[in-house]
Amino acid sequence: MELGFKNVSKNYGEIFAVDDITYSMETGVYGLLGVNGAGKTTLMKMLCTVTRPTAGQITWNGEDIFRLGESYRDLLGYLPQDFGYYPSLSVSDYMMYIASIKGIRPGLAKKRMKELLEMVGLSKYQNRKMKALSGGMARRVGIAQAMLNNPKILVLDEPTAGLDPSERIRFRNLISGLAEERLVLLSTHIVSDVEFIAEQILLMKDGKFYYTGTSEGLIASMEEDVWLLTVPRQKVNQYLQKYPVGNVKHVPDGAELRILSKTPPAKNAVRADTTLEDAFLLYFGQKAGDENVEV
Amino acid sequence: MLKYELKKFFAKTANRVILTALILIAVVYSLLAAESMSYTDTDGSHLSGIGKMTAGRRLAADKNRQKGELTAEKISGAVKSYQELKQQCQGELPDTEFGKTVQSYWDILNFTANVYTVEPAFLPDVITQLTEEDTEHIYDIYAANMDKMAEEYAETPAQEAFIKKQYEKVNIPLDYEAYDSWETMGMYIQTYVIILAVAIGFMAAGIFDEEFRNHAEQVFFAAKYGRSKAARNKIAAGIITASIVYWAGIGLMSFISFGIIGASGFHTPYQLSDPYSIYVMTQGQYYLLIVLCGYIASLLSASVTMLVTAKMRTAKVAVCLPFFMFCVMLFIARSLSEVTRIVYYTTDVLTNVIQAVKVPILFQAGDVVIPQLPLVMALYFAVSVILLPFIYRSYSRYGLAKSGK
Repeated sequence: MELGFKNVSKNYGEIFAVDDITYSMETGVYGLLGVNGAGKTTLMKMLCTVTRPTAGQITWNGEDIFRLGESYRDLLGYLPQDFGYYPSLSVSDYMMYIASIKGIRPGLAKKRMKELLEMVGLSKYQNRKMKALSGGMARRVGIAQAMLNNPKILVLDEPTAGLDPSERIRFRNLISGLAEERLVLLSTHIVSDVEFIAEQILLMKDGKFYYTGTSEGLIASMEEDVWLLTVPRQKVNQYLQKYPVGNVKHVPDGAELRILSKTPPAKNAVRADTTLEDAFLLYFGQKAGDENVEV
Repeated sequence: MLKYELKKFFAKTANRVILTALILIAVVYSLLAAESMSYTDTDGSHLSGIGKMTAGRRLAADKNRQKGELTAEKISGAVKSYQELKQQCQGELPDTEFGKTVQSYWDILNFTANVYTVEPAFLPDVITQLTEEDTEHIYDIYAANMDKMAEEYAETPAQEAFIKKQYEKVNIPLDYEAYDSWETMGMYIQTYVIILAVAIGFMAAGIFDEEFRNHAEQVFFAAKYGRSKAARNKIAAGIITASIVYWAGIGLMSFISFGIIGASGFHTPYQLSDPYSIYVMTQGQYYLLIVLCGYIASLLSASVTMLVTAKMRTAKVAVCLPFFMFCVMLFIARSLSEVTRIVYYTTDVLTNVIQAVKVPILFQAGDVVIPQLPLVMALYFAVSVILLPFIYRSYSRYGLAKSGK
């Protein structure tokens, strides 16, 4: 079971959304991290045959996925970032429709639908119209539809967007459970989503894989250390300008900063454990500002 | 899969609103058709209010006193009776006389006048001028005029032969049965057919833009059958819903209308209304011809809007096309009819059968002569079918171009 990218590029005129990626994936959870506009969604769309690469080839067990067509899509479960649905259908009709276009027999589809709605906590709402669902509920239907055909390749683009914290935790656990004997590609800019469940991290920037490997490897590759430092509030800006700062926490005697630096930023700075989020901040710099990163 | 595709169609709010509107229009048109029938009682009074709804049936009952073979003697009798009454009254015929006698043979007088005057003329003027000899030989004159018409209409010997052959199909003497309900409904159903064709185009377009409008295309095209069976099912859903909506609409309106005004005269020759039409058919067949042309128009409307939507990924332009094809084109064709013959074969002909059956437009290829309507019907039915693979290709290949989106 191998999904391969061979010099895959996708450009829209002068702009390269994906730029000459070569990589290979097997079973397990892959966390695709990158700021908005890094090319994650385009890569996933190509992987799901929604759009074709401008150059290069994506292969499944050595065969071009676009040539495999139906037999490849039969293995696929996809939750797009911009998950849309048919607002006038009920949840159960929506699920049954998606099951039908996935080629699942009605009897089996009904069984799977029940199991999956149970799994995402929407059994009670199966007769509710899709348009009457909250954003988080619709997202959960999106996750359920992706799982209908028990896919070998599960592609989830920002799956936790719109989910509340408890739903996110439940979702993470769910993904961990699903990862056996399947390939899960999970794209997100919520670092903590992949930190605990992804075996492999793919850092994507400007259409390229900036780093591929384990989160431990990524953290180990950092030359900078993480320092905790409490400073008076009026000095916060000074540190923000001088160092990459992962977090500013207000404490009674000032502000506690989480600073990335090769050397201690001050005498009273205390070394802390490095997390994936720190690595993300370091590699994506200012682009990974508040707008793009949720933790 | 098709079941859910149809479910999506009928669950959509916009479609439900349109379907409700179509039902309401059918009901209102049916009532208007019934209301438009005029019956004069033997005491000269006209029906009004709710009683007017019975006009169609009472008129048919009155006229069916003349039911049967329309012999020259019967025509002579009607003409003579009318002439005598006109003489007695010295001017406008009183409503009492009209209700007592003239109303029952009015269609016969109409036919007689139309046999003698091809161009529309004021009926009383024509009838009062006819002699006994004229009416006794009406079918000889009719036959002679048919020959003249064939010569006049035809542009080639083949066309002349074709028209003559058509006229030979007219069974003389004609058989009469009151046909007002079919004639009236012909006019109303023609308008309803246009409304249906435009509405069907609008709804069919929605089948192919809903994924894009709702941002559901990524899940759809990533599914196993998203680029094959599911796309084919969308086309099938378009054709099936176009057919269901069309025939349900036509059925509803016909059922209500004929239920109120009666269906007398299905087998009455159309030539009683238009003696020199090259379309030899009954009044009922004339109605069915309007309806069948409308069905082809609806299929064409669905195919064209589905194709344009599948190509453009939006229904915004597509939904305007049926209105152009069946409404705007009517005026364009009318204004260009002196300039080019192409307008004889444009899409509006399908929804303007009332006019098309009156005008003997013939198409000739070699020795083969085909009248306008069968040619237009075959042409646009073929176009509707030929477009289907293009819809499939346009839709199922979404996103597969190597460059751009």
